[in-house]
Amino acid sequence: MSVASNAQKLSPRARRALILMAVGAPVGFFAGRTLMWLKRQGYWHGLEFSTSDVVSLGLAAFLAAVGLVTMAVSLSRKALGRRINGDEAARAATPAQAGFYAGQGGVLVLAAGMLAAPPLAGALFVPLSPLLASAVMTGLIALFLVQTAGNISLWVRSDELMRRTMAETAAVSYVLLQGLLFLWAAGEKLSLLPPLTLWDAVNVNMIAYLLISMIVAWRRGFVD
Amino acid sequence: MKNRLKVLRAERDWSQADLAQRLDVSRQTINALETGKYDPSLPLAFKIARLFGQPIEAIFQDED
Repeated sequence: MSVASNAQKLSPRARRALILMAVGAPVGFFAGRTLMWLKRQGYWHGLEFSTSDVVSLGLAAFLAAVGLVTMAVSLSRKALGRRINGDEAARAATPAQAGFYAGQGGVLVLAAGMLAAPPLAGALFVPLSPLLASAVMTGLIALFLVQTAGNISLWVRSDELMRRTMAETAAVSYVLLQGLLFLWAAGEKLSLLPPLTLWDAVNVNMIAYLLISMIVAWRRGFVD
Repeated sequence: MKNRLKVLRAERDWSQADLAQRLDVSRQTINALETGKYDPSLPLAFKIARLFGQPIEAIFQDED
């Protein structure tokens, strides 16, 4: 059997994923190489990130990419319909559905901004003056309030399956993370584990929440 | 819990999106109900029963 006939068997979603991987891998590779070259040449002097910062910036990039793609798709009701209407892909999404998905993309982009701002501010402005730190913090509080309002609006507009998924994700995350927090704190108290910063805990919390939400959504049948 | 949602929908030649629109839920909710991954709330079960003109127990059956 030829490669071409195997490729024809792939679903449109799998073909899109393969194309994105084929494009994304070399772009990521050369972007990384370019950044390393800039750093070696001294153009990137002073821009140092800790492992924790790199993790939160990676998370922020992931959230921003997913959020922007979701917002872009929701701009076209036909394109959104193809993604959400399963057995009836030619059916365009309703304006309410387009608004809902645009809102979902929006809160993801806001979350990305909130995760990226503290490590970026700390790396770009050395030393970070109290005035600038206060300005960043004020911006973060404003973003947090807007994002909270966005999340409440999404909850109100969600149907019962979506609300159930959100509630289950929150419950599983709470039980798992409070257990992990206790065990780590105990290990730290007993000098068996290295100390964590609150920012490390935020990263762990975010990664765990994303993974749990994916598993819950899959178990609840969000994926056809 | 088992249900006859897919059969009832097919009898009327409705797509999942059609049924979702009539029940004011997402298509994903209909898919999750049909595949048995999600049991509806009582208000939604009543809404489904009213839409198909059948009692709840004729649509949803306990697997025990």
